[in-house]
Amino acid sequence: MSRLLDWFQERLATREQLTRFLYRRLPEGTTWWHTLGSAALFLILLQTLTGFFLAFYYVPSPEHAYDSLVYIQNEVPLGRYVRGLHYWGASLTVVVVFLHLLRVFFMGAYKYPRELSWVVGVFLFLLVMLFGFTGYLLPWDQKAYWATVVGTHIAGTAPLAGDYLWRILQGGVEVGARTLGRFYAAHVLILPAVLFAFILVHVSMVIYQGIAPTPKGGLGRIRREDYDRLYEESKGRGETFFEHLLRDGVVAFLLLLVLVWMAAAWKVPMEEVADPTSTTYVPRPEWYFYFLFEFLWGFPGKWIPVATFWIPLAAVLLLVLLPFYDRTPGRSPLARPMASGVATVALAAIVFLTYQGATAPAPPREGAAVPAEAQALPPELAKGREVFEAQGCSACHVVKGVGSAAGPDLTRAGARRDAGWLKRFIKDPPAVRPGSEMPAFSELPEEDLDALARYLASLK
Amino acid sequence: MRPDTSTPAMTPGRRHFITVALGAISTAIAAIIGVPLAGFFALPALKRSERRWLEVGPVSDFVEGPIQKVLAKPLVAQVWPHETPRVALYVQSHGGRKFTLYHIHCTHVGCPVRWNAQAGRFFSPCHGGVFDKDGRVLAGPPPRPLDRYEYKIEKGVLYAGRLYKVNEKLEFREWHHA
Repeated sequence: MSRLLDWFQERLATREQLTRFLYRRLPEGTTWWHTLGSAALFLILLQTLTGFFLAFYYVPSPEHAYDSLVYIQNEVPLGRYVRGLHYWGASLTVVVVFLHLLRVFFMGAYKYPRELSWVVGVFLFLLVMLFGFTGYLLPWDQKAYWATVVGTHIAGTAPLAGDYLWRILQGGVEVGARTLGRFYAAHVLILPAVLFAFILVHVSMVIYQGIAPTPKGGLGRIRREDYDRLYEESKGRGETFFEHLLRDGVVAFLLLLVLVWMAAAWKVPMEEVADPTSTTYVPRPEWYFYFLFEFLWGFPGKWIPVATFWIPLAAVLLLVLLPFYDRTPGRSPLARPMASGVATVALAAIVFLTYQGATAPAPPREGAAVPAEAQALPPELAKGREVFEAQGCSACHVVKGVGSAAGPDLTRAGARRDAGWLKRFIKDPPAVRPGSEMPAFSELPEEDLDALARYLASLK
Repeated sequence: MRPDTSTPAMTPGRRHFITVALGAISTAIAAIIGVPLAGFFALPALKRSERRWLEVGPVSDFVEGPIQKVLAKPLVAQVWPHETPRVALYVQSHGGRKFTLYHIHCTHVGCPVRWNAQAGRFFSPCHGGVFDKDGRVLAGPPPRPLDRYEYKIEKGVLYAGRLYKVNEKLEFREWHHA
């Protein structure tokens, strides 16, 4: 054994290299928060490994993709578990990478001399989101298909080259065999190659420059010309990387336990096989794209590209260029209230929109059972409820948690308006309330209007 | 501080020559490899000849008035021969040989619109888009009326062709894919 080590030592100076790597000093006050980067790396390696194994059974064609997934889930021993690891691991990776980004932002770790680490890191974050987007088409179920129709449609709203972008992404004029081929090649070959190239650069820079100092005490504000001296002094008081590695190990192990539990206990959602001819499916994206999906509500008609292109572009540029326009010496979040404030607001908006997306009521599915409360209605109101359903009101209005929230929630419509007002409004909304966006229902027979208004007025 | 790179033979002229030659070789390598690969990747997606006709059904199947959802059969398989792609569209007959054929994707972000015959409207399940029976936007964020297919009738059979966009007056605006 020691002869073997000597053999390497003579050729590669292994001992010195290892010592330099493991026993390099870290700045003082390195915390558990500093394990998020290595945790992200651990999860990415795990995704890579489980991805390798899924590729043994998965077939990327519209005729076989879904069946190969069903085979993995139902026939391959441990198939459900391995797919579960990959599926839940994806969500966990998004969460940990995002937390890592937040940690680096709030500790001001993107400042001199780590501007490039930040830029590469933002690209790594975007790559992880692209992994999500390309990965969830692969099962070729309804969710996969329609989320991709929506995703490529959104890309198609880009100014000027939108149409080309749309077709090049899809591999044609619709989501089909070539789309699946493209997304598969991107997901398992191209994106991993790019990702690991970026990770190599990202990690090399951390080793070269050392981890950013915790912005406490004298390190809460650092002028550029004082940086090298202060950092060296801080390293003099800090621990070694080898000691910190224990924290990294503990966090990786705990994450693995969480993931194993998720994969073992939770079923991976799998819907019907993709059906491009369905007109009853309600498309919803994966949870980490809810905020974009919800964001679209606010931008109708010609404003669509603002939500789908200009604001996302501006957000990415703001993130990428952050270290170049924020060159103040403050590193502690308290020393730079403006940056911390803006980031907190943006973060709150993303969390809020994600929550909105997660809890948004969906329009009732075709052929869904009549809700219990509708069955219990007295006959004079039941007729109005029928009109409500027949006219598709729930496409825009929620009643007791069912429906889509485009228009006002009508669960308590009767508490605000009486039947007379409601009838006049439904017949011609802009006449009653100028600027109302609701389409008029003036062609409804008078008795249906009366019944509908009575039903709505009874909701209190 | 520039490192000393001069050797007895390395004159500034020679260094300049090597730089230019290496640049030219690298560019040539990149182009020889890259251009065909870019074409391989993008051209199938941009191919025009793939505009295929969809067989919608015998004209006699469609009574004037009500909007029907129809599964159409492409005459030529889209990608490879065994593929059986299915396309759905909404068909409305206006009597005689006049039809309107609607795309099922909402013009906002592409969610499938549902035709509600009782309400006489198309509803999108995503962001509250509502269209009337002629495909005009009644409510919600869609930027234009429902897209339509060109059509032809041959030997009593209705075929759907290219998709196009219409303006608010429902007049032809542009082909869907330039």
